[in-house]
Amino acid sequence: MRLGMVIDLKRCIGCYGCQVSCKAENGTRPGTTYARLIKREWGTFPDVQRLSIPLLCNHCSEPPCVDVCPTGASQKQESDGIVFVDGDVCVGCRACVMACPYGARYYQDREHTYFDSEGPNEYETTRYLEHVRGVVEKCDFCRHRLAEGLDPACVTNCMSKARIFGDLDDPDSEVSRLVREEGGFPLTPEAGTEPNVFYLPPDRPPTNDRQVTP
Amino acid sequence: MSSPDTLDIRRRDLRSEFRPQREWIDGRGLLIVVAHFFSGIGAGAWLFSVWLDIEAGMVLGLVCVAILSGIAHLLFLGRFERFWRMLKRPHKSWISRGIWGIGIFSVGALGTLGAPPAWRDTMVAVSLFGCAIILLYEGFVYAASKGIPFWSTKLLPVLYITYGLRGGAALLLILAAAGSTAFDVHAMEAIKLWVVVSTGVLVLLYLTTASRSGGAARHSVRQLVAGRLSPAFYGGTVVVGILVPIALAAAREFGATGLFLLAAIGVSSLIGDFYVKYCVVKAGTYVTLSGAGLGTNANEPTRSRRFREAG
Amino acid sequence: MIENQAQEDVWIPSACSMCYNQCGILAHRKEGTLVKIEGNPDSPYGRGRLCARGLAGIQMLYDPHRVDRPLRRTNPVKGIGVDPEWEEISWDEALDLVTAKLAEVREEDPRQLFFSGTVVSLSPLMHMLGTFLPAYGTPNAFVSDGHQCGNAEHILARTLHASVTTNPDARYCDYLLLFGCQAGLGTYYALTTMAQDVADARVRGMKLVVVDPYLSQAAEKADEWVPIRPGSDGAMACAMLNLLVNEYGMYDAEYIGHHTDGPYLVGEDGRYVRDADGKPLVWDTGPGAARPFDAAGRPTESAALTGCYSVDGKRCKPVFQRLKEQVAKWTPEEAEKVSTVPAERIRHIAREFGEAARIGQTIEIEGHELPHRPAAALYFKGAHGHDNAWPTSLAIELLNEVVGASNVPGGLMGTNPVCFGHPETGFPRWNPTAGAEGLLEAGALLHNDIDGPTPGWPPPPESAELPNLRDLIGWPITTCFTPAALNDDENFGGAVRPKMLINYGSNLLMSAARPETCFEAFKDCFVVCSSLFSDETAEALADIVLPDASYLERLDPVPNFARHHHPVGLGDWGHQIRQPAVEPLHERRHFCEVLLEIERRLGINEVANLMTNFAYGIPPEFALEPDEEYSWEEISDRIYKGWFGSERGLAWFQKNGVLSWPKQVEEVYWKPFSEARAPLYNEWLVRYGEDVRRIAHEKGMSGIDTKGFLPLPDWFPCQAHKPVPGFDLQAIYYRVPWHTFSMTYENPWLDEISRGEPYSYYVCINAATARAKGIHDEDPIVIEGTDGARIEGRARLTEGVHPEVVAIANNGGHWARGMPLAKGTGVFFNQLQKMDLEHTDLVSLSMDCDARVRVYPAEGG
Ligand SMILES: Nc1nc2c(c(=O)[nH]1)N[C@H]1C(S)=C(S)[C@@H](COP(=O)(O)OP(=O)(O)OC[C@H]3O[C@@H](n4cnc5c(=O)[nH]c(N)nc54)[C@H](O)[C@@H]3O)O[C@H]1N2
Ligand SMILES: Nc1nc2c(c(=O)[nH]1)N[C@H]1C(S)=C(S)[C@@H](COP(=O)(O)OP(=O)(O)OC[C@H]3O[C@@H](n4cnc5c(=O)[nH]c(N)nc54)[C@H](O)[C@@H]3O)O[C@H]1N2
Ligand code: SF4
Ligand code: SF4
Ligand code: SF4
Ligand code: SF4
Ligand code: SF4
Ligand SMILES: [Mo]
Repeated sequence: MRLGMVIDLKRCIGCYGCQVSCKAENGTRPGTTYARLIKREWGTFPDVQRLSIPLLCNHCSEPPCVDVCPTGASQKQESDGIVFVDGDVCVGCRACVMACPYGARYYQDREHTYFDSEGPNEYETTRYLEHVRGVVEKCDFCRHRLAEGLDPACVTNCMSKARIFGDLDDPDSEVSRLVREEGGFPLTPEAGTEPNVFYLPPDRPPTNDRQVTP
Repeated sequence: MSSPDTLDIRRRDLRSEFRPQREWIDGRGLLIVVAHFFSGIGAGAWLFSVWLDIEAGMVLGLVCVAILSGIAHLLFLGRFERFWRMLKRPHKSWISRGIWGIGIFSVGALGTLGAPPAWRDTMVAVSLFGCAIILLYEGFVYAASKGIPFWSTKLLPVLYITYGLRGGAALLLILAAAGSTAFDVHAMEAIKLWVVVSTGVLVLLYLTTASRSGGAARHSVRQLVAGRLSPAFYGGTVVVGILVPIALAAAREFGATGLFLLAAIGVSSLIGDFYVKYCVVKAGTYVTLSGAGLGTNANEPTRSRRFREAG
Repeated sequence: MIENQAQEDVWIPSACSMCYNQCGILAHRKEGTLVKIEGNPDSPYGRGRLCARGLAGIQMLYDPHRVDRPLRRTNPVKGIGVDPEWEEISWDEALDLVTAKLAEVREEDPRQLFFSGTVVSLSPLMHMLGTFLPAYGTPNAFVSDGHQCGNAEHILARTLHASVTTNPDARYCDYLLLFGCQAGLGTYYALTTMAQDVADARVRGMKLVVVDPYLSQAAEKADEWVPIRPGSDGAMACAMLNLLVNEYGMYDAEYIGHHTDGPYLVGEDGRYVRDADGKPLVWDTGPGAARPFDAAGRPTESAALTGCYSVDGKRCKPVFQRLKEQVAKWTPEEAEKVSTVPAERIRHIAREFGEAARIGQTIEIEGHELPHRPAAALYFKGAHGHDNAWPTSLAIELLNEVVGASNVPGGLMGTNPVCFGHPETGFPRWNPTAGAEGLLEAGALLHNDIDGPTPGWPPPPESAELPNLRDLIGWPITTCFTPAALNDDENFGGAVRPKMLINYGSNLLMSAARPETCFEAFKDCFVVCSSLFSDETAEALADIVLPDASYLERLDPVPNFARHHHPVGLGDWGHQIRQPAVEPLHERRHFCEVLLEIERRLGINEVANLMTNFAYGIPPEFALEPDEEYSWEEISDRIYKGWFGSERGLAWFQKNGVLSWPKQVEEVYWKPFSEARAPLYNEWLVRYGEDVRRIAHEKGMSGIDTKGFLPLPDWFPCQAHKPVPGFDLQAIYYRVPWHTFSMTYENPWLDEISRGEPYSYYVCINAATARAKGIHDEDPIVIEGTDGARIEGRARLTEGVHPEVVAIANNGGHWARGMPLAKGTGVFFNQLQKMDLEHTDLVSLSMDCDARVRVYPAEGG
């Protein structure tokens, strides 16, 4: 099994819902955004285009972040290809942060809280316990949710239904079909990382079938 | 909100196309530059000291590597108490190799200095092996960082090795100036001059290569030669690190003497050595994300194309 | 209520209120702490998906800067930016002070109590408006910010769709044209559900065209972005109408004849031609005579839409003919001059829109053969936020009406004007009807009235005692003109002056207009603010601040009070509960419960009980007894049981969260099933205009100008178009999907987004324009209005904004001490905005939300 995600740039409305749904699911500290978004603009007025591009870990098939890790804390899970960090092993050397071409890894230089001078609030006191201090953290495709049979939080929540999750090794899965039929492409393929997150072009032709929202 | 700390700067980075790396330079991240600085010059000093048999130089080299660099390395880590875990993946990870290198070197160096003479040759060999790893590792740690095109070139290890040697020589010059030991200062100086010149050439080569590779690497170069890092680059790396030592060395060639001059050559080289590492690390910029549908290469926006078709 | 919080791990169904949309949420509480908010998949409000704000509500709940205990001002000096030097007091003390003042004011003249509130915290606001204020006896409530919000659209939604607002039928729509609105793309009504439907539609092939001076989130997703000069949408829409009805002949004669007043004859006096019984006449081409619109034998089959006729010697023309003539002057070339949108582009959009509407075609849905008009033109804040709001809005609305794309599959839908009620109880129920003149009368608007009243248009109140244009102009559903009126003695000198102001859930000072407007109006009053924060309004004006329970800490039985937040189109109806995810923290208290207490202390609880029965339409068997005392839970229970039967009371909703049932085709696509006609011609406005002119003249209100009371669409310039030498730009604001007005700037998760995003904390200026002014990216700049008002911000050079425009996101730049996170982030736009008669569209009481400005680098930048 090779778990992967498809992000449909035609659907995505740049709402940042994924950034916050990930934050809410994983209870991460300030500055840590496993799911984030960048914006691009090109052209000249009035022929100008802007694009919102959601990012997360690509769970690369050839993950440089795993290669450079001196401790083995960064691993690629055999069974499903999920790349994750074992917070009990990581020493916080950040070599993996430098190795990842996608900015998918986060390290806290100190224990930031959102209302800084006030210290952690009730929510933060509870949720930050889930995190080990002084290590690198990243998206793990919400392994704890997958274990419960749920999709990742950012997928379940996306209000434009722009994120689709599944097994890329299964040619019949929705993700495989979309990548195949709708021109799915990875980010920065020249880095040789073989990402497992694919993007569908923002300007592809219509499907013309009248879908009815479930 | 909170104090304008690194956190906020990092968030702001997300706005720009060229995202600078921060983890290995800001805040405690600077310690890795410090660590690499000390292990580089320490290893260099050890090499030359063994060659020229300068005991004080050997001690200094050991102190630089095992103590100063070691401590900086440890303090740099998020979880230093787990440092031993970094020994686990020498077959893959350059950091792991580097830690092994420091370990092997330290054992060898200690042995060289303290073990019975019968062991000495073996110990020297061990220490030199460690030295080699250390000198190699630094550059390769950066070169293995696929996220940062400015670093991922084979030239970088060469540059780091050269600077390590140069720094080692500089340390010995300072030692000589301090008058602690007698040794062939002239031989040292010749090496030194040669290395200084070659570092100059290497830096130039490195930057030209990087600026040709386009995108983020070129952005890094621009930061150094004409951007926010140019003061550090020109002041620290070029003037203090290259021009001053050459000028001072030339002055000596033309007859100027004095221990002070010797020390000055050494110190300016060391500063230059630090700055080149600082600049290279600080200029690290993450690769610009690209993709078939992101319009990075589109000359014409899709929208207008479609409008023309429709209209 | 919540017991044994220690070992629990529960998911509580409730409703979001980080904006007015009230999406269904599930709140995850563990050992007493709220640990996560997720969408509730059972709720039609969002179907389990939330926006960034909804997810971030948790950080508002636990914000350490919230007001936790009642506050009393100790610094006698009030002022913008002045430290009130708050002192914490007990609830008892606070209520003593407030009740004493309320009693004193009421004794003298209850109308001296003013109330302001906005839409964020909708349901308690509605409760206040529906029960407390009438019981107390003051009509001086103003829902602040309607002037910036939806007034013009709301009037037309009421007139043409029997609703409060509109949304496109995205599932069937093939062509969506947005004028200054981001429906389904980041803001607007039913956002989280519409976003799903609009995304599906776009993938399917629906074409999206967005008319907006700024490359907004909606424009980013558009197949075509049409940058337009702000305030000129009406000209473009008039030109499109002209092309459709005069040049391309693309109009739905069948729809216009049967479902609008298109055939009604209008005389030269601007009135319908009526028979002796007052029935409007149409011209029957069969016999060639005028006949009542509803005469037996379906005369409208042969009713003329065009031509010129003579009835009793008076010349008259059908409404549709008048419309054709009215828009004839708006050639695309003329519109281009005004709007900067190329004439060719207007032509091609008009043609595409007309073609997409598939006039004449039908579609079968669930066994019903219905007209299929998959094209919709929608507009909101941007297009109508000007003092030409009314004719602009009318022009855009009529695009849908002339092609028949109104409340039929694929077209523009009123937000749920027909509801047959829950299958078991038939409640809540509303249905528009045809009035005596055949025109549409709404079944219910804001309230879920059981048997909807037919409001029609109330006559002008003929009094100038109330310091509000509502006194003269009675139909805009919300208005914030009151503060401006209080500052305008010339026109409103005779009005009641406020002695006390209650401000609920609104940051009036920041959001209404430039802060001085509201400050001046209420600085001498006793001011009570119920809020979550000591915001700018509280800090400058409040004598007492009451710490409210946020939406995560309270019970609201009818969170989706206003059904205009309910998604349109087929799907499910849903009625939700808002219940505490945690018990109110510290000493925060639910405003509705505080009201109950105040009512008892004031002795107006009996009347209030009766008002509650009325406002919520509680049937007799569950109605409150006047002389009984009820807790908020008991009242909630009765509302639920009254609507959904005794087995579905509060307890049922607490457990299940949402009651939903499927919508029927006749509810959703009600137009073909209805006799009622939508008026293309606003005859009522002609009458109203005359009355208003007369009354204003009698009262000496010289500032009242009724030039905008137009029955048919047209365009005229707004205030910001007045040329002033040197002032070469127009400033506008836009919304981003992750902020709500000003309040979310205090939310760290949402603030974090803006800090990493390139535009929202900057002033967006066209790159070429900026360069010509020597402004570089990131430079600090000054934006100065023609009246000297100044704001500052940092420039973001972009190609995505009209060269004559600077665009600013939402409402940033807070300065209150009580919102330290928000302080100084983003840009404060509203200093540029002037609220007065001149900047107001008197038909809808909409305000010019833009300004003519000049921009230059800030000194020392
Ligand atoms: N995320 C989010 N959603 C919200 C809200 C929120 O604050 N945040 N607020 C809610 C409320 S109360 C409201 S009223 C609605 C508003 O919902 P919308 O009406 O969709 O409001 P905006 O998103 O501000 O979109 C207005 C657009 O008009 C553009 N504009 C400005 N002037 C002009 C003009 O003259 N002509 C044209 N054509 N465009 C112009 C602006 O650039 C902006 O992109 O959203 C509701 N939903
Ligand atoms: N520059 C600019 N100005 C605008 C707009 C804009 O987009 N930009 N939008 C305009 C529009 S359309 C509108 S509708 C208005 C909105 O204007 P407002 O409704 O005044 O919006 P905010 O400024 O966010 O202030 C909301 C206040 O309500 C408080 N609040 C939130 N929830 C609760 C609650 O549960 N209980 C109580 N008691 N208080 C609560 C918040 O703390 C905050 O102080 O602004 C208008 N003005
Ligand atoms: S939540 Fe979905 S629509 Fe919103 S930014 Fe993320 S991917 Fe795009
Ligand atoms: S995206 Fe980055 S962190 Fe994720 S697997 Fe690839 S290289 Fe590693
Ligand atoms: S920071 Fe942790 S996960 Fe990353 S390379 Fe170092 S040890 Fe491995
Ligand atoms: S899959 Fe889970 S962890 Fe990864 S970005 Fe999405 S929500 Fe975050
Ligand atoms: S649209 Fe409004 S109500 Fe819905 S989740 Fe977002 S903030 Fe909450
Ligand atoms: Mo609004």
